Amino acid sequence: MNKDVIFSVRNLNVKFSLRGRVLHAIRDVSLDLYAGESLAIVGESGSGKTVLTKTFMGLNDANGWVDSGEILYGGRDLAKFTTEKEWLTIRGREIAMILQDPMTSLNPLKTIGAQIGEALKLHQGLRGSEARQRTAEILTDVGIEDAAHRAQQYPHQFSGGMRQRVVIAIAIACQPRIMICDEPTTALDVTIQAQILNLIRNLIAKYNLTTVYITHDLGVVAHVADRIAVMYAGDIVEVGTAEEVFYQPQHPYTWALLSSLPQLGVKGEKLYSIRGTPPNLFHKVRGDAFAPRSDYALNIDYMERPPYFDVSPTHRVRSWLHDPRAPRAVPPPVLSRINPEGGSLYGE
Amino acid sequence: MLKYILKRVAAAVLTLIIILSVVFILVRQMPIEGYFDNFDKLDKAVIDARLQQMGLRDPIFTQMKNFFGALLRGDLGTSARYSVGASISDIIVKKAPISIRMGVLSMALSLGLGIPLGGAMARSKSKLWDKFGTVFIVLVNAVPAAVYYIFLQAYGSNALGISMLFEESNPVSWILPVFSMSLGSIAYYAMWLRRYMLDEMNKDYVKLARAKGVKNSTVTMQHVFRNAFVPMIQYIPSTLLFTISGSIYIESLYSIPGMGGLLVDVISRQDNPMVQALVMIYSCIGIIGMLLGDVLMVLIDPRISFARKAEVR
Repeated sequence: MNKDVIFSVRNLNVKFSLRGRVLHAIRDVSLDLYAGESLAIVGESGSGKTVLTKTFMGLNDANGWVDSGEILYGGRDLAKFTTEKEWLTIRGREIAMILQDPMTSLNPLKTIGAQIGEALKLHQGLRGSEARQRTAEILTDVGIEDAAHRAQQYPHQFSGGMRQRVVIAIAIACQPRIMICDEPTTALDVTIQAQILNLIRNLIAKYNLTTVYITHDLGVVAHVADRIAVMYAGDIVEVGTAEEVFYQPQHPYTWALLSSLPQLGVKGEKLYSIRGTPPNLFHKVRGDAFAPRSDYALNIDYMERPPYFDVSPTHRVRSWLHDPRAPRAVPPPVLSRINPEGGSLYGE
Repeated sequence: MLKYILKRVAAAVLTLIIILSVVFILVRQMPIEGYFDNFDKLDKAVIDARLQQMGLRDPIFTQMKNFFGALLRGDLGTSARYSVGASISDIIVKKAPISIRMGVLSMALSLGLGIPLGGAMARSKSKLWDKFGTVFIVLVNAVPAAVYYIFLQAYGSNALGISMLFEESNPVSWILPVFSMSLGSIAYYAMWLRRYMLDEMNKDYVKLARAKGVKNSTVTMQHVFRNAFVPMIQYIPSTLLFTISGSIYIESLYSIPGMGGLLVDVISRQDNPMVQALVMIYSCIGIIGMLLGDVLMVLIDPRISFARKAEVR
C-alpha cells in the first residue's frame, strides 16, 4: 500500500448549537488518509461518523462549526474555510460523497442524465453531446445497461440498487480523488449489497480513488476496508489495519462491538449486547467516554482521558489499559471465534 | 400521455353533462314566475300560451333534448327578468371582459409578489424576511377580507388622491381593487411556497447536489424551487379561471361592472334561464380548471403517469 498521506485531520473539534445548548460532536479527532486506501469508520449511531466526514466537505448544518483543529488537504487547511467559494473547490471536485438512501438521494424531477451531466459540466467542463457520451460511459461503468436510453429516464424508473449505481455514477462523474461512502448499502436489499460493494471496489481500482466508508455493518468493513477507525462518542478510540482491528482488537469498546456480532453468536446462547447508552455530548465528558459501559474500566478512566498508545506502527488505541502501569486485561474469549482466514464475517 | 389526457377530457365532459342535467331538472322545479317579467298582470291563458311557446309544457326529455341542442349551437337562451328579452350570451360577453382583466392582473400581481416572498422566506428561515412574511400572512389570514378591503379603499383612495369608485378609462383607479383582490393570494402563494421549499431543502437529493459541488443559489433555483413549485402549479389554472367569475365584494365596493355579483343578482330576481346559464358557466370553469391543473401536473412531473404503469427495472 502506498504510504503517502493525502488528507490529514489534526485535533479536530466540531460543535453544534442546539436550542441554546452546545453539543460537542467531534472531540479532538486526528486521522490520516493514505492515497489509494480504503478506510472504514465504524461506530454506533450518533458516534459522529457522518458529522466527521461532512466536516471534510463543509456540509454540516448551519448550526455546526469547527471549533478548533486542522483539516489538511492539498496544502490547504479546510478548517479555515469560511466562504462557499472556497468549499466549491473541494466539493465534488476533490471529495465526492455517496449517501445512504438511494431512494431519496436523486432529484425525482430531473433525468438521470441531467443529474450526472450537472457534475460533468461543473468538474470536467463537458456539455452537449460530449457530456452525453461520457454519461453513457460512466453508466456502463457502474453496470447500467442500455445507458444512452436509461440516461433519459427519471429516478422512479430505477430500482433501489440501480439508483445507488446512479448515485455512484454521479460521484465518479465529479472525478474526485477521495470518495466518501456514507453507509452505501444500509438501505439496500441484502442480495444487492454485495453487488454494490464489489462495484465500488472495482471503480476504486479503475479510477484510482481513496475511499472512506462510514458504516456500522462490520460485515461491510471486512469486505472492503484496508484500515479501520473505531469511533465512539465523537472520538476515534482505535485505528489500525483491518487485520489488526479484527484479530487483535485492543480497546474495550472494540471488544464489545465485535462481541455483539451476530455471526459470533452460538445458537441458543444469548447474543452479547453492550449495556447502557452512549454519553450525552451536551455535557462535558470526563475521562474515557466508554468507561461507564465497560467491563474493564479502571479508576483513572473516570478521571482523565486516555492518550493514544501505539500498539504497532499502524495501530493506535486510546485506552489506559495500554499504560505500562495498568493491570493486564484479557479480551472476551468470544473474539477468538473471528475466523482469521478472513471473509467469514460476510458469510460468503 | 395523449391517451390519459383524452380520457380526462372525456371524464370532464361526462361530469359536465351530469351537472347540466341536474341543474336543468332543478331549475324546472322553480316557480314559473321566473320565466316572466310581469307575471302578476298576466292572465292564466296567456301564461299557458307563453309556457307552451317556450316549450316548458313538453315532456322533460324533449325539453332536455332541446336544451342540449341549443347549447351545442351556442345559444344560452334569453333573460326573463334581469334584462328582459336580452340574449344571455350578450350580457355575459359584455360583463366578463372587465372581470377577466381584473382577475388576470391580480393573478399576475399575486404570483409576482407571492412567489418571491415565499422564496425569500424559505431562504432566510427565522430571519428578517421570514418574520416579515409571517406577520403579513397572519394579518391577511386573520383579519376578515371585508375589513381590509374597506380600509384599503378608504385610505388608499385618499393616499392616491383618486375617487373611491372605479372608472374603466382611468388606469390609476384599477390599482386599489386589483391590489385588494391579490392580497389573499399573495399570502397564500408565499405561505405554501415557503412550506414546500423548506420540505425540499431537507431532502437527501439537495444534500447530494451540494456534495456534488453545485452552488447553493443554483441548488435553490434548479432543485429546490423547481420541485417545490410543482405541487402549486396544479391550482393555477383553476385560480385563473375563477377570476372570470369576478369578486362579488370588490366589484360592488368599487362599482365595477363585472360578473362578480351576477349570479346572486339573478337568483334574487328569480331569473330562471339566467340562473341555469350561469351555473353552467361556473361549473364549466371549475371542471376545466381542474382538468388543466391535472394535465399540467402530468406534463411537469414525470412520476405521474396514469396512462400506463411505469416500467421499473
